[in-house]
Amino acid sequence: MGSDTMRREILRITTVFSVLWLISTPALAQVELSGTYAIRMYEDYIERGPGSFLGDFTGMPMSDEGRAKALRYSSSLPSMIERQCLAQSPWVGLYRPLAIRIWNEVDESGRVVAWVMGGDYLRDTVRIWMDGRPHPSANAWHSPSGFTTGHWEGDTLVARTTHVKTAWIRRGVGIPGSDQSTFTVFITRRENLLTIMSVQEDPIYLTEPHVVSRVWEFDPRASQAPLRDTCNVGAEIPSLEDTGEVAHYLPGQNPEEDYMVRTYNIPKEAAMGYAHTLYPEYRKALRSIYKPPDSCGRYCCGWIERQGLPGAAPGLTCNDGNLPPALRKTLTSPGR
Amino acid sequence: MRSTLVLAILLMTAAVDAQSRAAPAPVSTARADAPIDLTGQWVAIISEDWRWRMITPPKGDIVSIPLNLQGQQTAEAWDPARDEAAGEQCKAYGAPGLMRGPIRMRISWQDDNTLKLETDYGIQTRLLRFGPATPAGPRSWQGVTSAQWIVRGGGRGAPRFGSLKTVTNNLRPGYLRKNGVPYSERALFTEHWDVHALPNGDKYLVNTNVVEDPLYLQAPFQTAIHYKLERDISKWDPTPCDARF
Repeated sequence: MGSDTMRREILRITTVFSVLWLISTPALAQVELSGTYAIRMYEDYIERGPGSFLGDFTGMPMSDEGRAKALRYSSSLPSMIERQCLAQSPWVGLYRPLAIRIWNEVDESGRVVAWVMGGDYLRDTVRIWMDGRPHPSANAWHSPSGFTTGHWEGDTLVARTTHVKTAWIRRGVGIPGSDQSTFTVFITRRENLLTIMSVQEDPIYLTEPHVVSRVWEFDPRASQAPLRDTCNVGAEIPSLEDTGEVAHYLPGQNPEEDYMVRTYNIPKEAAMGYAHTLYPEYRKALRSIYKPPDSCGRYCCGWIERQGLPGAAPGLTCNDGNLPPALRKTLTSPGR
Repeated sequence: MRSTLVLAILLMTAAVDAQSRAAPAPVSTARADAPIDLTGQWVAIISEDWRWRMITPPKGDIVSIPLNLQGQQTAEAWDPARDEAAGEQCKAYGAPGLMRGPIRMRISWQDDNTLKLETDYGIQTRLLRFGPATPAGPRSWQGVTSAQWIVRGGGRGAPRFGSLKTVTNNLRPGYLRKNGVPYSERALFTEHWDVHALPNGDKYLVNTNVVEDPLYLQAPFQTAIHYKLERDISKWDPTPCDARF
């Protein structure tokens, strides 16, 4: 083989290897998130299950404005026809007792254009645009689901949501989020567990970012149909229908403002959601004033109580304090 | 075509030979291989389950934990005075309970293959050991933790990223919750550690974890706990175990 021939061969081989190297370089990291994920309500069970106690803002870094608005809330408010379809925050799913379904939308070449998190009857579907489109102008329309873009950081899908409506950000206690809220959300799948952590910033109703992290578990049988139903309204409080009255409490008149204080002996500032109560050093203030209540009160068994339904572990006798005795007897009877 | 193939093999062989004659590759260490930086002081943000994490709930409040009947009965028999008398006031400070506590933790490299996790709450230390398993020794509140980087990417100039997976066993029986919700010595504690950053530089550590216990749980107890990295470390406040508060 002559030297020219050798050079050509080397060039050819180099070219082949270069092409192979280039086409085998991995694309940006992506994890297949599609599927259904069963909820694991092992955190904030009461809020996600039966519903929070009114006046329970523990764990929230609320501003005075947020607190005042939340205390105006009455559980009759969302029962009114005009308000049954009020927007819930796009990421309120972290406080709802439902499974999650995720799928992707692709273009003609198979490239993922968006990841989609299915909504439910109170929460709009969230579409996370992955195609690099910018967020709209600050003056653009704010929708129930907001506007969300995403990108991958390693194995984590990082989503950013803007353009939301003023909405309740937690379940059933009236904690508000303003339409200036932004959410940064980290979605990570580790083995069969899906972890979603959201960081909400709100210059109106929060004094610092509100952070929450939750776990779901991949389960092909977890689908809950219909995923997104039309919000149908009906008169739940006929006495208010067509009266023009709006259920609310005037400032200082919410009878549940002290519920957590009188029921669980916790300081009012902790129940009312001041940011400094979220950190370990607040225990110094608690130590001298907190005395555990004599009994648990309501919803002591939570998860176990749900297991009193078919498929339960046998023999559980947890005293919930909220279950009618006859039903308790039925649920815990031997041989069930 | 055949000559091309032969030449390619020769070139690859030569490259391998050249590599093998070079100086031996340094032995990799967990510290050198780390795809994420877990070191620093992290504070738990108690924005979830405040009433069960920040304070001691009343006896019998076992909401949200998937106990079986034996677990329930054990929780209802909780007696902090008995724990104190037995010198077991740290039962709620074992690894599975500690991580959900109102803690600050400092993570640092003890050596090239061991991460050290210290908490001010209960003054506990847990070692996350990479590499071959070490002899277990007696059971302890923090047990024996084996650690493994889950590394992705990094090839041919691509970004390198990953997370940490740890598995802890050899635990002394302890509490998942301060009011005596139990886990047994058969408990297995699996954790996935991820670090996320906001555009403003704030860093969060998310610990997705599973407690499995065939004695007291009827299903795996799965939660995610988040912590924030602190630049100001002045709030570190070592306090001994307390069986009641």
